[in-house]
Amino acid sequence: MSALGGGSAGGEGINPQASVIAFVIILVSVGIAFVVYPAALIPLIGIIVGGVLISFGVHFVPVGGAPAAMGQAPGIATGVAMLAAGGGLAGLFGGAWAAEMGIWVALGAGAMGGGLLMAITCLMVNVVYVYAMGIPAASGKVDKDPITGDTYDGYRSKGTEGHGLPFISYVGGVIGGLLAGAGGTLIYLELLSVYQEALPSFLGMTPEGMQTLAVSLAGIFAVGMFLVAAVLTAYNITGTIEGPHDPKFKRWPRAVIGSSAACAACGLVAILLVVI
Amino acid sequence: MEEILFGIGISALAGALATVAGAAEDTESDIGSQGDPNSQVQLAPQMGYVHRIYNKAISGEPPAYGLWVALAAGIAWALMAIQYNAILALIIGSAVAVFVQGVYATTAYLGRTASLAKFEQPVYIDILKSVTTVTMAHAFVAVFTTVTMCFLIIEALGHPFPLPLMGLVWGIALGAAGSATGNPFYGKERQYQNYPFGAGLPISASGDIVRYAEAGQRSSLDNGWFTSKGAGPASGICFGLIVFFELWRTILFEPFAAGWGAVIAGAVIIIVFMVIDRMVETWARKTYGPYPVEKAKEEEATA
Repeated sequence: MSALGGGSAGGEGINPQASVIAFVIILVSVGIAFVVYPAALIPLIGIIVGGVLISFGVHFVPVGGAPAAMGQAPGIATGVAMLAAGGGLAGLFGGAWAAEMGIWVALGAGAMGGGLLMAITCLMVNVVYVYAMGIPAASGKVDKDPITGDTYDGYRSKGTEGHGLPFISYVGGVIGGLLAGAGGTLIYLELLSVYQEALPSFLGMTPEGMQTLAVSLAGIFAVGMFLVAAVLTAYNITGTIEGPHDPKFKRWPRAVIGSSAACAACGLVAILLVVI
Repeated sequence: MEEILFGIGISALAGALATVAGAAEDTESDIGSQGDPNSQVQLAPQMGYVHRIYNKAISGEPPAYGLWVALAAGIAWALMAIQYNAILALIIGSAVAVFVQGVYATTAYLGRTASLAKFEQPVYIDILKSVTTVTMAHAFVAVFTTVTMCFLIIEALGHPFPLPLMGLVWGIALGAAGSATGNPFYGKERQYQNYPFGAGLPISASGDIVRYAEAGQRSSLDNGWFTSKGAGPASGICFGLIVFFELWRTILFEPFAAGWGAVIAGAVIIIVFMVIDRMVETWARKTYGPYPVEKAKEEEATA
């Protein structure tokens, strides 16, 4: 029981009432955007898709939190939103750099930026566990790795739920980085397109003069929306997750619905900021 | 060709700065005990183990470093806008950010430790005086190198982000890489140094952190000395590799296939790291083997 008298665990099911409210928020946000500034309709839908990618991607990231820092549980020894933000924002950096190359190249560059951060970080986590701490990787949620077929029975040290990053968790981390990087980049690109079009007419500036302002606004809103989607997802995960093989992974539809609604509302505010 | 060579040189320099930043970041967070292992520092007095370890984890490393690096970058950016010398602006920006870090560390230590008063954990003023300044010194190295790296990426490589936004993005990435790589070494290997090497910490042992050194009580400065030999360099290599490969693949391969060259190069690098990880994992399984407890179980079963 929580302090408010509700259930203590979130469970895995979808709350129909909350989902309907989320869909209403999405529809209202899209409707307002269409009425106020019709050209922002497609960008707002892109922002919502970006939020979905981030939220879904974060579920793949193997996060062990404090228990992982003592080798008591598998995963990366930091917070869900923290790590996802690191990967996703590295992706945003790459995607923004490639923005001039077109949306698909930029999305690919953003995805690779996030995936690269996760690939290197996950490798160094295992290097520290194996060579500095003498601990092999072992999952606590499955007895056999779904990809390599390695068995973990006997590789978990006494009194722990496993440790390190088994290969399935490593792959999950990379997939999470790819999706989160692409999602963050998509939000940035959509906002940038709105600002580049709207700022000159609404503020009376030349397109060259407002480029820095457009990039800054789009970048900071993309970072903000990334954190909104990632933190909402972290609440859905509640603590730690090993990756796609973890039973908690099945909770993703709930977080995706919540993040869509949150990104729709935030995206609307980000668009209204320059068109009203 | 000359432009590409220049770009690769800048990538290498940025990677080197990132390596120093990663090492300093992790050492700072271990001395200040800001990462996830601080859960044990907070828990210990509640289990009856009063200690002299610093305790400033009121925020994760990524948002904390996002704040400090963005602050340094913002101040440097503003100073450069009024025609300050760039190097001076970066130093002043980093110095101001480190004062904010010092205020953060002081209030965090006092607040967190005072909250343990009912468990008889004292607030040690000598710790506040001696450790805070050391974390500030390490934070300065981490913040200055990161903000300089951001400045190079913008000015020399032409990234469109303004400096404060770039500082926020790479500050958060620095904290993520440093905390992910460095936390297990500080948490298991240092705080629980008296437990067997080569195994995770039994959950039942939580809170029983090492509190005594060769002479007297252990200080957080000793923790920095220890982790700077393992977790610090590992975090530095991690962040350095991330920055270098992110820049290198873009500079060298973006001109190919209308930009897709950099994407393909990124995919290839990811696959290479994946293969290396699998080799590390397999090596550990073969070299260390299963834990002997399983054999004992089998013997019991046969008896």
